[in-house]
Amino acid sequence: MNGTGMNDTGAQRGWRQTMAWAHGWLGLIAGWILFTMFLTGTSAYFRPEITRWMQPEIHAQAASPTQAANSAIRYLSRVGPDDLQWYIYLPDERTVATRVFRAPAKPDPRHRKDELDLDPVSGTPLTARETRGGEQFYRFHFQLQLPHPWGRWLAGLCAMAMLGAIISGVITHKRIFADFFTLRWNKGQRSWLDAHNVSAVLGLPYHAMITYTGLITLITMYMPWPVLMNYAKPAQFMQTAYGTPADVSASGVRQPLVAIAPLIRDAERRLGGPATRVIIQHPGDAAARITIAQAKRGAISSRTPVATYDGATGRFVSRSGDPAVAINTAGVMLGLHLATFAGIALRWAYFVMGLTGAAMVGTGLLLWTAKRRKPGAAPFFGLKLAERLNIAVIAAFPAGMAAYLLANRLIPAAMEGRADMEVSAMFWTWGLLALVQLGLPARRAWTALFGIAAAFWAAIPVANALTTSRWLVPSLLDGDRLFVAFDLSCLAIGIGFAVAARVSARPAPKTPGRSRRSMEPAHA
Amino acid sequence: MLLKPRHRDDKGKAQVASGQTIDGQAGRRWRGGIAMAWRWITAILGGYGFTVAAAMLSARILPAPDASARIEATGWPMLLSFLLYAGIGLWALHEVRLGRISMVIWGGALVMAILLKLLGVRA
Repeated sequence: MNGTGMNDTGAQRGWRQTMAWAHGWLGLIAGWILFTMFLTGTSAYFRPEITRWMQPEIHAQAASPTQAANSAIRYLSRVGPDDLQWYIYLPDERTVATRVFRAPAKPDPRHRKDELDLDPVSGTPLTARETRGGEQFYRFHFQLQLPHPWGRWLAGLCAMAMLGAIISGVITHKRIFADFFTLRWNKGQRSWLDAHNVSAVLGLPYHAMITYTGLITLITMYMPWPVLMNYAKPAQFMQTAYGTPADVSASGVRQPLVAIAPLIRDAERRLGGPATRVIIQHPGDAAARITIAQAKRGAISSRTPVATYDGATGRFVSRSGDPAVAINTAGVMLGLHLATFAGIALRWAYFVMGLTGAAMVGTGLLLWTAKRRKPGAAPFFGLKLAERLNIAVIAAFPAGMAAYLLANRLIPAAMEGRADMEVSAMFWTWGLLALVQLGLPARRAWTALFGIAAAFWAAIPVANALTTSRWLVPSLLDGDRLFVAFDLSCLAIGIGFAVAARVSARPAPKTPGRSRRSMEPAHA
Repeated sequence: MLLKPRHRDDKGKAQVASGQTIDGQAGRRWRGGIAMAWRWITAILGGYGFTVAAAMLSARILPAPDASARIEATGWPMLLSFLLYAGIGLWALHEVRLGRISMVIWGGALVMAILLKLLGVRA
């Protein structure tokens, strides 16, 4: 940060000038983290699908919601009749297992894992290789693998920088419409600027939406303070805002639960959509409560209504009312960010838009260095640092993501602690590549790391073929669209990186006739 | 970057040529660095404090005759606060006069904090 005219007293500078400056620095400082957030967040549109690919032992078993709830309750009544609470997440067309969480009355310190995947038909626990699955990328997207709460705060700060960069970028830009159609290939800095503009303008509504709604996802952490001025007991805000039924206490009188199937059918009628989640408080007690929530698909808002029943008699107790407009707005923003409402086509569209976000941040980072590189002159320290960080993030991080998926197939399925080893593979690969590249000249480092990323991504379908029976050809024959799409996507990403390696290996383009200086004021 | 640093460098060179010591230039650089750091601290931390205070104040003074209006009065300042934060932060990077930035952002946050203290939690 070398001043850039900020200390010129008296001189009135226009917004376009200052915002160009602010845009450049906000984008640079937050850009490296934002790039990783964009990639992992984009992958998270397919979070359950990634988990399914990472547990190839589990085959889809079609079961109706009532059947899945029935079998899950049968299992839970056997293992935890005295639990405080059960959460049952029913399977849908994207997930194959019934996911249950138990809140035992006396938590067993040796047995921490009270979260289980059940077979929706039989209700028995599914056995598959231990993995964090799609959860890993999803969590990294907003926690950055840092201890709580620092990762979330840092992610929020970067999201704010992104919001600032979007606003300042729009102010800086005077020819949004013209830039939409302008992409001059192979002209050095000019091309990076064009690419940055095209990806930014093309995706502007998406980028603005995803950034703002992303901040809203953690709003109770980033901006809970207004609650303190209106509620003496802050918990009261959540309770009145979301219409959460007040907790009941156990009566101590044993009484079995009523059959769940009629309640689910009744709830689906009252809520007007398929059921997705069943919460049972004090199962096996006369005061048991059953809460059934409506699925998120089809409704943009991710706050869906719930119906509550008496667990011992099956009597309908209440349905959550229509929330306040502000709460509804937050629910819609949350839904827009998570894309839980979206069908397969729209999720692919989200995926592509997410990639344009990564492309916008990446080209912006490259532009920052391209603009400061003087032909023939030795680069200054900050420029060298930025260039090396660019390589470490744009080329090495995707290789780390591939290593995570690759490790899932290469680490033996029965090995103890393999889930953590998969995560280690991701970060060791990323870290080592980020260091090793320092031994090469920058241009060669780009080519080498893009080449490695290409090899890693292309190796995923190969490793899948070598270690499982669900590789491309059998999956094609079975009509297993998920496994086919996964292998082909990895291959496509690998080809993309191979092209990047080839392009980066080409000699530097000659800067066209105009001098560097004359181009300078065009953009920050 | 823009045209300014070159402009400033030219001036610096001219001063060195006219007999001024390098120390004077280094001192000015040093002061410029502190001013720049203060500008960013004010934009990021001060801007957040200002936004928090403004969101709390508007939540407190928006009319809330019943329970659902109270949710709206609490929720909307939360939802819109990030726009204010972005706006005030960018303004801190735009405005030349650092004293004015400090006064508006830190001073404004302080005044609003005092008001909040006086108003107290809504009954």
